[in-house]
Amino acid sequence: MKFSISRYNPDTDEKPYLQDYEVDILPSDRMLLDVLLRIKEQDPTLSMRKSCREGVCGSDAMNINGRNGLACITRVRDLKEPVVLRPLPSFPIVRDLIVDMTNFFKQYHSIKPYLVNDQPPPEKERLQSPADREKLNGAYECILCACCSSQCPSFWWNPDKFVGPAGLIQAYRFIFDSRDTTTKERLEDLDGAYRLFRCRTIMNCSEVCPKGLEPSHAIEMIRLSMLKDPGDSGTLPTHSVSPVRK
Amino acid sequence: MEKPHTRPLPRPLFLNLLQIQMPVGAITSILHRLTGVVLAAGVPLGMFLLWRSLGGEEGFAQVVELLHHRAFQAVVVLLVWALSHHVLAGVRHMLTDINIGSTLHKARRSAWAVNLTAAALALLALGVLP
Amino acid sequence: MTPHRRPGPTGLPAWLVQRTSAVYMLLFLVALLAFFGWHPLHSYAEWKRWVAHPAISLALALFFAALLAHMWVGLRDVLLDYARPAGLRRALLVLVALGLCTGAASMAWLLALQHV
Repeated sequence: MKFSISRYNPDTDEKPYLQDYEVDILPSDRMLLDVLLRIKEQDPTLSMRKSCREGVCGSDAMNINGRNGLACITRVRDLKEPVVLRPLPSFPIVRDLIVDMTNFFKQYHSIKPYLVNDQPPPEKERLQSPADREKLNGAYECILCACCSSQCPSFWWNPDKFVGPAGLIQAYRFIFDSRDTTTKERLEDLDGAYRLFRCRTIMNCSEVCPKGLEPSHAIEMIRLSMLKDPGDSGTLPTHSVSPVRK
Repeated sequence: MEKPHTRPLPRPLFLNLLQIQMPVGAITSILHRLTGVVLAAGVPLGMFLLWRSLGGEEGFAQVVELLHHRAFQAVVVLLVWALSHHVLAGVRHMLTDINIGSTLHKARRSAWAVNLTAAALALLALGVLP
Repeated sequence: MTPHRRPGPTGLPAWLVQRTSAVYMLLFLVALLAFFGWHPLHSYAEWKRWVAHPAISLALALFFAALLAHMWVGLRDVLLDYARPAGLRRALLVLVALGLCTGAASMAWLLALQHV
């Protein structure tokens, strides 16, 4: 199979370029990451992030034939050739397929991704009904891989001011957590021309999420919450993600 | 310990729109914006025509004649497409705002429906105009 | 938390204006198409009379108010996304605002003229 992989060495290269590789696919090569690691044996200078190899750490997020995804859960055989691998769009490239995630995490931190409850702590845990706990489904599973935010045009144009789908789905997770007492402040923080409202519901985020989450829907729910108390909002929708790329 | 080798920033980034996949919803969305701008450009013209048409018999006649003029009808077809796409995409947005059709698969279908219907209405206008 | 919070109608209020103005314009458009489909106009006199009708004039005035408010939110979104640096963006926003105000004033004047 033919691969074209974006290379960039800050010490020697002026700008990124595509390097071609030709690889015989073995029966043991199920996912794209398997092939990439074998390419790395041939060419040890190729750099990428990877860790769990099972789609839960989010390290190997990259742009695969134009669409973001995790290399470890993307079936390699179905990919259109030449397989073009590039780093996540709009993020500064550190080297080859490794991008600078600083701004991405800055936006994540800006929504206060932790429970805030100033009431005196109870004897044991803060109780939450199963129904309330279900409201977090479809949001808590986010692995912060950045596939969504780096496929979002609004995030491309204003990465410093727009929180982005990943940050916003985490904001949802805490806004809709019954144990959190700062809902009003969280919603106020997201009001304004940029924080949440750069979202145009383009829905690229939901399209590419490797965990099948739908940040666009979470953002809608947050907007509705700003208007009125949504009452029983139910669970966020999710969709199944096949390793097979169409 | 050796000082890590640093390169002066800024770092390059990948943002070649021609090489990034645009799902159907993204097409609907960018066309929504484009048609909005097209319509906005058409508003001063519309206001002028309105003004003219209320300014007297000759003004009214001029506007009617212009609307039937061949060259102008190309503009009319463009504006019909722009209005159709913008309104349909807008309705789609407002429905997803209240959680109607906002899950991924439904949203993809409605995006296709919007794109195709608007194009169909433009073709209809093209066919209907003399 | 973001250090610079701009007070005033920037986020949710703008979004609401965009939606409500859209709904009004949609209803107006449908009503207009239905009406002219049913009673097409044939003369300048009919057209003048129709516009001058108090209910129509009011509906038209509201339509233009909705249109210009809707255009403002939409064009502002485009500028906020693409226009850089901040100085140019602010200048363009002011230009758009002036253009829209001029449009509003001219339509208000036109409608007022029909009732002289």
